Amino acid sequence: MLTVQSLQKSFSLDDDEIRAVDDLSFRVDPGEVYGLLGPNGAGKTTTLRMVLGLVKPDSGYAEVSGYRTAVDPTAVKSRLGFVSASDGVYPWLTVREMLLYFADLYGVTRREASDRCEDLADLMGISALLDRRAGTLSTGQRQRVTLVRGLIHDPPVMLLDEPTRGLDVVGVQTIFEYIEHLREVGKAVVVCTHRLDEAERLCDRFGLLHQGRMQQTGTLHQLREQSGHQHLVDMFVDLLRS
Amino acid sequence: MPVANTKGRLPRLCQKELKETIRDRRTIVTLLLMPLLVYPIMSMALNRFLLSSGETEEGFTICVSSDVDGELLDQWLSNPNSAPPQAVADSSGNKLAKFRVTVIPDESPAEAVARNDVDVGMELANIDSGTPLVTFYAARGNSVSQAARRVLVERLQWLKLADAELRLKATEPGYRTPLLVSAKDVGKVEENSLLSTIVPLVLVLMTITGAVYPAIDLTAGERERGTMEAVMASPVPRGYVLFSKYVAVVAVALLTAIANLLAMFTTLWAGGLLGLLTGGDSFPWLTILQMLGLLILFSGFFSAVLLSLTSFAKSFKEAQAYLIPVMLLSLTPAMLSLMPGITLSGALTILPLINIVLLARDMLSGSVDLNNAFVAVVSTFAYAAAALSVAARLFGSDAVTRTSEKSIGSLLRRPRQATLRPTPQAAALMLALLVPVYFLVSNGLMQFIKASQDTSVATILLFNAIALISTFGLVPVLAAWLGRNRFKTTFRLQPSGTLALVGATLLGLGAWAFAHEAFVIADALGIGGLSDKQISGAEATVAKMRETSPVLLIAVFALTPAIIEELCFRGYLFSSIRRAVSPFQTILITAALFGLFHVLTGSALLIERFVPSTLMGLIIGWVAYRTGSVFPGIVIHFVHNGLLNTVLYYQDQLSFLGAGFDDQTHLPALWLAIATGLVITGASLVWVSSRKQTDANSETSLDTEHNVGDLGN
Repeated sequence: MLTVQSLQKSFSLDDDEIRAVDDLSFRVDPGEVYGLLGPNGAGKTTTLRMVLGLVKPDSGYAEVSGYRTAVDPTAVKSRLGFVSASDGVYPWLTVREMLLYFADLYGVTRREASDRCEDLADLMGISALLDRRAGTLSTGQRQRVTLVRGLIHDPPVMLLDEPTRGLDVVGVQTIFEYIEHLREVGKAVVVCTHRLDEAERLCDRFGLLHQGRMQQTGTLHQLREQSGHQHLVDMFVDLLRS
Repeated sequence: MPVANTKGRLPRLCQKELKETIRDRRTIVTLLLMPLLVYPIMSMALNRFLLSSGETEEGFTICVSSDVDGELLDQWLSNPNSAPPQAVADSSGNKLAKFRVTVIPDESPAEAVARNDVDVGMELANIDSGTPLVTFYAARGNSVSQAARRVLVERLQWLKLADAELRLKATEPGYRTPLLVSAKDVGKVEENSLLSTIVPLVLVLMTITGAVYPAIDLTAGERERGTMEAVMASPVPRGYVLFSKYVAVVAVALLTAIANLLAMFTTLWAGGLLGLLTGGDSFPWLTILQMLGLLILFSGFFSAVLLSLTSFAKSFKEAQAYLIPVMLLSLTPAMLSLMPGITLSGALTILPLINIVLLARDMLSGSVDLNNAFVAVVSTFAYAAAALSVAARLFGSDAVTRTSEKSIGSLLRRPRQATLRPTPQAAALMLALLVPVYFLVSNGLMQFIKASQDTSVATILLFNAIALISTFGLVPVLAAWLGRNRFKTTFRLQPSGTLALVGATLLGLGAWAFAHEAFVIADALGIGGLSDKQISGAEATVAKMRETSPVLLIAVFALTPAIIEELCFRGYLFSSIRRAVSPFQTILITAALFGLFHVLTGSALLIERFVPSTLMGLIIGWVAYRTGSVFPGIVIHFVHNGLLNTVLYYQDQLSFLGAGFDDQTHLPALWLAIATGLVITGASLVWVSSRKQTDANSETSLDTEHNVGDLGN
């Protein structure tokens, strides 16, 4: 469903050249939750941005349902849902207005968008908030709105960038339930996070990223066998030391 | 799977942006509250200014020492002989000043004036001597008091004069007034033109103010709130999003303009100042509508400019940092419109902002020249379209979603790694430095020459060359050194082959004729052009130049600029700009910059040089692109300038060839035919010589090889 093949990207910062993503490849199938894990600055967000077409890769490609980002960005974007912890809301619009606006950006018909809006709001427990001004929402409520926004066009592939950052226990639980829902309805999901304990509970397969390179990949079982460690945290500590 | 439904999407997107802006209280503050507050206060200030700048309805007040003095003064002033003669009255508005005489107990007239209780004070002495001494006191620095005293002194002079004339006629019956004087007015009333300029200026500035907040909020604000990435991740074309934001900004700007227009005219009307502005008593609905049209046009233009700037910014703060200098810069030409004698004509019709202000002023006074108005409107349309296309390119672009940021210090630190060419940002900084440096150096040298009193032609020429070398030569070299850019590639010092140089020579020989024609055409179209005064000045300069050796002239006016300007424009700037845009755009941009820098001569703006210089810039730019080298350009530039100077130097000896060399006459057809032949042959030679080289010289291919990390810069 989502294929990333030999992606490569460098930035130059002042005088230094930083290789943000180095020959990265992975694949995610429908109904599968893939954890793209790594410390801050490992290249997770840059990878997502290249998949979305927001950053142009130096080489390599990303493919969604047979469409490549570089060749047909519109087809790719309309098949991707994107949620990030830093996502904001339009403070002067109501929740419903904002959701319908995004539906419009994705070319969803008015009627369909209204129906999905109600259904998803029901699912995420924000039905009562639909006609509130987004600027008056609490952090937790805002997060739920963002999660609904990412699904408004019913994309087959979901990209979640640090979805639990800055959330309390209830907020994190919401994310868990959300991802569970995505798995159930057969979405291919990529979760980028540096919270390895959470990732262990959430994901089916993992890619351990460090300094832009894929260090290890596989299911938790496979990774345990390869590394001899029980937990992802220990595997990572090993990785960083080597 | 999503079905792309785009029917009616654009209006819905515009609606969303508008809702977002209009619901924001801060928008409403600038939109409504500002005009409601500003204009009444302004009107009060204006009223106060008008009142204090002249005589009041009741007239001036004069303080005298006693009632007796007062009676005497009243007697003098009411004597018809103290009134000015008809010619004097005619030439000063035909209004006789009124005076009110008063006595203030316990205060001398001088004290009363010093305390600002009265306008003038009068003291009488030596009344009994038959020649009383009248002393008038006025307050220093108070124009009303000074004016009142002047009138009083004049009145008593007229009285003395009439008395003298009367006595003279009595003793000498044959006496005749030596001459009769009369004063008459001609032309239109040009009073209050200042007010009719201030009104449009304030309106335009208020419209800008209205557009600023939504422009920042809908672009940089979106980035700051964290909604930008989600929007950019959606498949909607970027242009749609930008356009809907543009519509919202223009709408708010327009609403601000309407609110301001109504508030201003209502205030002027209520304050009784409308008559001063329009000359009539009725409310000028038609003029207001016309001005609204102008403001619509202007807000369309300025909103696009604002969006292109704010689209580049990552935060509110950064957007404000970009906008403030731009607003201040745009104020400079706007202030120009306040200067007396400035009219909407010539180059001013295409100068943004000032053309709108001047056109609005002309509308208020009902004296619009349709041709100039047309040029002003069309050029503003063109600027709006250009600014919008820039905004569309910048909005949400890759360069802005980047997270890295350069510090100020990194601008002055030499990078560790050498690069082949400077970045466009470095080139922009270099250009920004070049303007003040050139201004300082050229003006400084002129001051030095004046001070040393050595005004020999050779010295002036030498200083000219020094100014050129130390600015257009030194600044790019320093910039390249600081940026550790390799000189050979930065200044494009690759050899070009003999054939290209021969072609360049022919082009240089032929091109001057076209530059001359461009000059003549520009002059005929009224873009710049030389006044008779300038022409005679230029002729005097040429005559002076003949005093010196032609070799020195060629060295200063042909060789130095050919080398220095080419290394700067077709070297440094060409190679850096080429990194960002296509060859065609590079040629256009460097040519326009070349033209602009020829307009800036250091002390004055020579607008008439823009067209021919830009044309030369286009020709040399094309040659520089084809050959991948700076050298053929140097040859063209040298031959062109050299030929021009030789022709001017030997003008008299060459007159047998049948051409006048002044800048208003076309060249003879035969000359043009020869020049065309030379240019075509030269261009063909350049084309042939570089046919195989162009691809090898392609600067992008080199860039991608060596500067992998450009995108992050």
